[in-house]
Amino acid sequence: MKRIITGNQAVAYGVMLSHVELIAAYPITPQTTIVEELSELCARGRVKAQFLKVESEHSAMAACIGASTGGVRTFTATSSHGLAYMHEMLHWAAGARLPIVLVNVNRALGPGWNIWNDQSDSLSQRDTGWIQLYCEKNQEVLDTILQAYRIAESVSLPVMVVLDAFVLSHTSEAVDIPSEEKVNGFLPLYSPKYPVDPMNPVSYSGITTPEYYLEFRYKIQKAMNGVSEVAKEVDDQFKNRFGRGYDLIETYGKERGEILLVTSGAVTSTARTVIRKMSGKGWDIGGMKVKMVRPFPSREIYQALQGAKKVAVIDRNISFGVGGIIAQELRACLYHREKRPPVFGFVSGLGGRDITPDLIEEAIQYTLDHSQPEDDIIWLGLKK
Amino acid sequence: MGNQIIIDHESQMPYIPVSQGDMEWNKTGTWRTQRPFYEDKTPPCNATCPAGNDIVSFILRIVNGDFEGAWGLIREENPFPGICGRVCFHPCEVKCNRGRLDEPIAIHALERFVADFAFHLQGQKVSGKKKERVSKKNKEKVAVIGAGPAGMTCAYHLARLHYDVTVFESLPFAGGVLRTGIPSYRLPKEVLDWEIFAIESLGVKVRTGVRAGPAMRIEDLSGYGAIFVASGANVSRHLKVPGEKSRHVLDGLAFLKAINLGEEINIGPRVIVIGGGNTAIDVARSLIRLGNHPTILYRRTREEMPAFEKEVVEAVEEGVELKFLVSPIHIQDKKGLKRVECQRMKLAEIDETGRRRPVPVRDSAFFLEAESVIVAAGEEADLSFFPRGIKKRDGIVLTQGGGTTTFEGIFAGGDVASRERTVAHAIGSGKRSAVAIDCYIRGEDSEKALQSLLVGNGPSVSLFPLFHPGRPSRNPHVVTFEELNMDYFERMRREKETQYPLPERIKGFFEVTSPLNERTASEEAGRCFNCGTCNECENCYTFCPDASILKGAKSLSHQVDYDFCKGCGICFVECPRRAISLKEESR
Repeated sequence: MKRIITGNQAVAYGVMLSHVELIAAYPITPQTTIVEELSELCARGRVKAQFLKVESEHSAMAACIGASTGGVRTFTATSSHGLAYMHEMLHWAAGARLPIVLVNVNRALGPGWNIWNDQSDSLSQRDTGWIQLYCEKNQEVLDTILQAYRIAESVSLPVMVVLDAFVLSHTSEAVDIPSEEKVNGFLPLYSPKYPVDPMNPVSYSGITTPEYYLEFRYKIQKAMNGVSEVAKEVDDQFKNRFGRGYDLIETYGKERGEILLVTSGAVTSTARTVIRKMSGKGWDIGGMKVKMVRPFPSREIYQALQGAKKVAVIDRNISFGVGGIIAQELRACLYHREKRPPVFGFVSGLGGRDITPDLIEEAIQYTLDHSQPEDDIIWLGLKK
Repeated sequence: MGNQIIIDHESQMPYIPVSQGDMEWNKTGTWRTQRPFYEDKTPPCNATCPAGNDIVSFILRIVNGDFEGAWGLIREENPFPGICGRVCFHPCEVKCNRGRLDEPIAIHALERFVADFAFHLQGQKVSGKKKERVSKKNKEKVAVIGAGPAGMTCAYHLARLHYDVTVFESLPFAGGVLRTGIPSYRLPKEVLDWEIFAIESLGVKVRTGVRAGPAMRIEDLSGYGAIFVASGANVSRHLKVPGEKSRHVLDGLAFLKAINLGEEINIGPRVIVIGGGNTAIDVARSLIRLGNHPTILYRRTREEMPAFEKEVVEAVEEGVELKFLVSPIHIQDKKGLKRVECQRMKLAEIDETGRRRPVPVRDSAFFLEAESVIVAAGEEADLSFFPRGIKKRDGIVLTQGGGTTTFEGIFAGGDVASRERTVAHAIGSGKRSAVAIDCYIRGEDSEKALQSLLVGNGPSVSLFPLFHPGRPSRNPHVVTFEELNMDYFERMRREKETQYPLPERIKGFFEVTSPLNERTASEEAGRCFNCGTCNECENCYTFCPDASILKGAKSLSHQVDYDFCKGCGICFVECPRRAISLKEESR
């Protein structure tokens, strides 16, 4: 059934269809309508979950950790400062290998106080051991939640599903909401690997001495290494069942041209339009959408990049002192490869400023005009 | 017990830090520098009781609903719970640690409650019940002179120690001052009869109507391994004023005795009672019940009165008039009417009794009129029948620990050998003498035996270890309020015994105070801190971070698992009642 819904509603329906048993959340703009919608669905009995009101995001994640350890499927959603406040618990969830799914609605961090879209909040959590999946449109948001539980429960790692503030969260699009039966066939009920059993008591997450800590971290990385394969398999099954899917890395336009333009999130839709228009005018360019940022799919990305002469990355985020985060990841992934096209790192659209087609054209033009970038960061649309 | 799991390859590890076995292989007890251990200590009530009652333990039995067991526990020490629960001045309550939080435990009321409970349970069977004699395997005979509280207590414990005891009593019945001196509105006769009967049931023979004196000299009693003299203090002290010996001037003890024996007394209606002790109050309250108008004259003030405060309060409630700082100097008889010439007194410096000495106010003489005068100015002991040469001092027989006199084989206790003349002191004295006599007959050191039985630092003794050898005894340390953990106690109202309404209670000699019931007694017992006594509250079990408190052992309900106890001391700190001790670990 297709309905015109916002990205946040898409989240709520995705959670509803996933038979989540515990929802613990604290409201924050622009995530609030997710929690509102879910609390309504819980109140109406459409979602048979325990809806736990908590006093902070830290507690929200702590509640999810407890419930997930206890053996139930859990969900929370947040944004920006709320996600930052969860930081400690994000490490814990990953270290305890709990398949929690969290939706983060990308929002800039203050000050200056800002409720609008950028990726700095989620990307600054990239080292916590969570899988990160960035969405481009509302349909993808709903579908990614269904896939996220499959992936999380398969590899025993938590998944963060990310969507853009307002551009997706508060913008309505036509979304196909699959039937419950159809989803049930795709996403079975959660069965925990180490459930709490009062008859066989164990202690979880106890002190781990230097003798064994390294091995546990090794196992997290090992699980991360397997995520790409699992995610592809899950997406293949999803495609078979629902007739649509999402590659971890998606290229479009001319792959082996002069320039490959790299984006993630909703701005990809704008980039697609620009590239289609410019290709029509004879430009030798293509685009690449990065859906999965953690684990960083280096192999898939290298394969996609190696044919391009130059790579331009538009980062809606910044790691101060270095630059755009996706650009850095690309550079790191190319360093020890045979073919290393120059990477132009554009930083733009922070704090919700629109990344317009003109700005994207400007980035492509700059890349074409320069054999190497003049700096690690090229500010796009900066008033100067 | 699990063994330490050694993992040498990551594939053997789970992917999350979840326990695979247990930590029992890790004997963390070796880390311990402080060693906690369960050790019951002495509560202040126990330490204070002149009769040596194990108060905290009997209260704990009440909490557990075992009322008869509580009664039995008191009787391990004291054959008179029904009497003490009524007439004892309960110094235990003064020292009760609970008094520092809100109000002391109503210990006397609880003691009376369990005695009444047992009485109602067993009392009816008394008449038809065959006397249960304990075996007299010791065969040694002991004589006791005087069937008052000291003598009967001594006889009771000696019988329990299998001696053949005969009590000689000058009156026609046993009980002594309990029967003749205490009015029945304070102590009903059936309570006394029942508790005396229980002592006789052990095989104690009471020979009444036998007076020690020229006709029966105690040193001539033959065939007894030892003699315990507890003849009491039953000679009224004289005022030494003119007219004291005239008609209608009675002495207090004689008056009370006459009432207690149901004799007709021609007295009143206006009666002047002279004295400020318990006898004077008992006399005055009895007079009220006989329809008279008593006026008490006391030469000091209310503050100095030796009578128990509660008795004074009740006397005033009932209409007894008290005149303070008044001393009679002459009792005149005018056609049957007594004119008592009095003078006013004032308090001067503190005298040898620790009270301010009354001195006459010049030219303050005045007259009081009444039909009768009763002198209740204190009692002395009759020491005339003691063997020549026995040492006496200040009107009492001189004794050492356990009542040993300077005459071999003769022991003395109770009022005849002490100035602390209360029922509880008499009971305590009788107990110590029972131990001393047992040791004397068996040729053992009584001082050493008594020392080993002391409650706290004494002088009271507990005979429980004598009859139940092998049970752990209490550490003599008396638990202070500061040693308790007040985080675990809330303020609670003290359960009070109720008193019959005034107009009712002055109509006769029935008991003034009605007892606690099962509910109020349980609630009152529940207020007890159980100082120094484990009541299995489980705080230690709950708080121990190493799960090293073991439950279920039979002799002691809890034990410390020293294999794993790290000696953190949390159990010691969180124990609300200092039943756990901590000492340095010696290795």
